[in-house]
Amino acid sequence: MTLYEQTIAVSKAYLGPATESFIDRQCKTRLKIEPAGLGLAQLADLAKYVELYGATIMDPEKAKLLAAKIGGLR
Amino acid sequence: MKPTIRNKLIWGYAGLLLLMSAVASVGTRALFSLKRDAHEAITIGGRLNSIAIEIQVHNLEAQRRVKGYLADVGKIGPRKAREMYLEEADFEIHEMESLSAKAVAISPTPEKRAKFSKLAESLTAYKLALDETIHAAEAGAADPVRAAAEARYDLAADTLHENAEDGEVAGRDASQSSEENIERTSSRAVSAAVGISLLGLLLGIGASIVLLRAILRPVDHLKEVAENVSMGNLQIEVKRFSDDEIGDLSDSFARMLTAVRYFRMEAEMVQQEAQPGEGGAV
Repeated sequence: MTLYEQTIAVSKAYLGPATESFIDRQCKTRLKIEPAGLGLAQLADLAKYVELYGATIMDPEKAKLLAAKIGGLR
Repeated sequence: MKPTIRNKLIWGYAGLLLLMSAVASVGTRALFSLKRDAHEAITIGGRLNSIAIEIQVHNLEAQRRVKGYLADVGKIGPRKAREMYLEEADFEIHEMESLSAKAVAISPTPEKRAKFSKLAESLTAYKLALDETIHAAEAGAADPVRAAAEARYDLAADTLHENAEDGEVAGRDASQSSEENIERTSSRAVSAAVGISLLGLLLGIGASIVLLRAILRPVDHLKEVAENVSMGNLQIEVKRFSDDEIGDLSDSFARMLTAVRYFRMEAEMVQQEAQPGEGGAV
């Protein structure tokens, strides 16, 4: 399972049908990478953006929790 | 065990059933206790009272026979006098002994038992005094000796009479105290049944309120959220009240709302990106 697929899997419980679109958007517009090319080096930044922008569409506590989960992926 | 609605309902109503069983068992126990006391009142109190009265009757009859014997022994001779009077008197004395022993055996309290024991003792003294009197009469003793023996017999008969009267009072007391026991037990049973029923009712109402709140509060909240979202308010917060099926429903609803918020923002961003000079937010 790639890092991207793992990210999608843990995010599903928080973002539902918007998961792929939200994560892809963070990869493309913030990290400037293709989602499939997501690696360990970008994971911390991705977690940071998920916490920051996720808080605009969900409970900030939940966004923080999701960010921690993504940050902990290996 | 997960506190699901199903589990809450099962445990809530199992608790209520248990409570109702407790109320029923206390009520049944009180009824049986009442029945037992009533039975005691009828048997023991009444029996003691009637035994004491029977002893009185036997005592009077025995004394009448003995007096007859003493009056006629000189005229008809000891053998004839014994046949006419003492055989019957012996029967009466034997009956008194048997009755007093029965009374001692069934007396409900030590005090009452002591009274009937005293009656049994006075019966023994009565028999001794009677033997002495008969002996004096049949042996042709001097008048003062015979008079002294008869005086002792009279005293023993009076003592026996007094003790039998005490036994009668004790029997009446036993009957009365048993009635008081019934009264006390019945009022205690009624108080206990009413108290426990009220407690059961209050706990039942409390349990129903807790169950209803556990189910209705999150449902009301979800209804409010759904109404807001349907009216276009996507900023409403979805709370999770409990760790049950409705809690899971809240999570699904929150996830759905998050997606709706995102898709709406994404649509707005696409629109803004189409217009040069403006960037996305999410």
